Amino acid sequence: MGGRRILIAGIGTRWGTELALRLERDPAVESIIGIDTTPPLADLERTEVLEADIRSPVIARLLPSTGADTLVHAGIVLYPVPGKPARSLHDINVIGTLQLLAACERSPTIERVIVRGSAAIYGCEPAGPSFFTETMARSFPLRTRFQRDIGELEGYFENFARRHSDLTCCMLRYQPDIGPGQRSPLSRYLSLPVVPTQLGFDPRLQLIHSDDATGALHRATMSPVRGAVNVAPSGSISLSRALRLLGRTQVPVPHPLFGPAMAQVGGRLGAGNLFGDGLRLLRYGRGVDNTRMLDELGFRPAFDATGAIRDFARTEGGLSLAPSPRVASILERLAGAPR
Amino acid sequence: MSGPPPVGSTVEMGSRFLRGFRSAVDGGLDPLAAVEAASTDLPKSLRDSVERMARRMRGDYHEDEWGFDEEFAEAAYPFFEFLYDRWWRVEATGVENVPAHGRAMVVSNHAGALFPFDASMITGAIMKEHPLPRWPRFMVLDWAFELPFLSAFMRKVGGVPASPFNATRILEQDGVMMVFPEGVKGTGKPFAERYRLQRFGRGGFVEIALRTGSPIVPVAVVGSEEIYPMIGNSSLLAKAVGAPFAPVTPTFPWLGPLGLIPLPSKWRIEFCDPIDVSGLGPEAAEDRRLVFELSEQVRETIQEKLYENLVKRGSAFV
Repeated sequence: MGGRRILIAGIGTRWGTELALRLERDPAVESIIGIDTTPPLADLERTEVLEADIRSPVIARLLPSTGADTLVHAGIVLYPVPGKPARSLHDINVIGTLQLLAACERSPTIERVIVRGSAAIYGCEPAGPSFFTETMARSFPLRTRFQRDIGELEGYFENFARRHSDLTCCMLRYQPDIGPGQRSPLSRYLSLPVVPTQLGFDPRLQLIHSDDATGALHRATMSPVRGAVNVAPSGSISLSRALRLLGRTQVPVPHPLFGPAMAQVGGRLGAGNLFGDGLRLLRYGRGVDNTRMLDELGFRPAFDATGAIRDFARTEGGLSLAPSPRVASILERLAGAPR
Repeated sequence: MSGPPPVGSTVEMGSRFLRGFRSAVDGGLDPLAAVEAASTDLPKSLRDSVERMARRMRGDYHEDEWGFDEEFAEAAYPFFEFLYDRWWRVEATGVENVPAHGRAMVVSNHAGALFPFDASMITGAIMKEHPLPRWPRFMVLDWAFELPFLSAFMRKVGGVPASPFNATRILEQDGVMMVFPEGVKGTGKPFAERYRLQRFGRGGFVEIALRTGSPIVPVAVVGSEEIYPMIGNSSLLAKAVGAPFAPVTPTFPWLGPLGLIPLPSKWRIEFCDPIDVSGLGPEAAEDRRLVFELSEQVRETIQEKLYENLVKRGSAFV
């Protein structure tokens, strides 16, 4: 028998591309097939890239023909793409996943399905447990549109796993990731020279280093476990300490004004519009328990919560606490031309 | 190295510091490093606090996974020490009943309508009077974590949202967990019912102690009921701000912020003999009858000690 045949849905995302890069170096992998509507973000040597939309029923014919034994869904979108309606998020995340699962049912060769999901399913709850375990999903109402999408998607996935007990179905619940060169709204927020925070709130955060995020996805692709697994660094760090480590100046804003402030200032400074989940995350924070990832999935992240921030500071050239030249450049950018 | 710092007038010292700072900034150091560089001429105590401030500004301090910040707690300590020693003249007995090592669950009565200070005073008793002091963690009403300032402060000094999962995790990490089984029913009761223990929920705290094999240390706190005598409850106000209850005391809300000053009652805190439940095994947590019996035993112990200490205390304020 040959090596593993792995299909990555969402090869055009950073996670899909990074996973493919790692799998290409893995001798246990025979072939890698990537599908997406957009091309990969890096040159891939032995990955076969197919252009296809996971939302279309074409997937149901395409997937069986690849003969893949593992499907990795890395195409879940965490935040709205600028210029596209927020509804398209629902289409990609829920309808797309549904089509993929339907395609799996017609593929006799598929043995494992891994979804790169989100810890947003737990919400950001002031009264919640400080560390959510995998069994605590939906213990609070799903408050935002994104949370409801993730909830719906996980519901379909659980159903699918129940009906196909011969397959190993693994749902990875990721905490937000940060890392060098990353352009997610959260990392851009943390890179602002002057960072608005919510007055009187200091949330606990667990941001996973992007190397560890890819490492966990690689590990789960090669030897998945059944059910949900939280992917998060050990420990937690408060937003205020993270910003100090990054050498950023905090500007506390009363929390009812934080959303509008971010929409205005953040947009100008290129931090993007933080959507509802982000606002709650930066008010109440969220911690998850990563015992299952450490013990059952057998993945040990290289960075803990503080380490991930320190590394981000190192690579993003944070650490400088020089206020005066920065202020000028901010004013310039505020007054300056659109992005 | 050099001798003791030269003793000059404060003005001279200040100007030397500023000159040092100026030249350090001109030398290309960032402001924090410049402050540190300039502080070498300052007396030791000042230099230490400058260094600590700079270190904190750089984020170079420890926080545990709960957000507890020991340096912050130590900085807030003198205020609570003042309340402990001067304001409430706390007399603590039996502190050594809190084990010096390993997990323990401290169970106490709960009172103080506007701001329940009992957790901080029990912490004070352990930190001041225990031969091997360590910071206990305490459960805080969930609602407090929705509020600005209070949520951040509570977490930094060792508070965690009142969730059984949090209590279990802290005990599994061999910490001291302080719980108030009466919850809001204890803090929100009228002054006329002071020192009458309310229902202990469904005995969830006993289940946690059984599952984690933690000894239970009942604690009776006398004095906390008089700090904000609750003579009324404005359900209208409570609803308006989403609070579980809105207390009306002789001074609050009539005197505005002044009404937040707690009355200087006389406090007594008694730590009772620990109840060792580790022999019963974790499966005993499923035994409803046992759980209720233990819960009732703890409740009666605290109630008895409350009455005893009330008699010992005598007058409430002198």
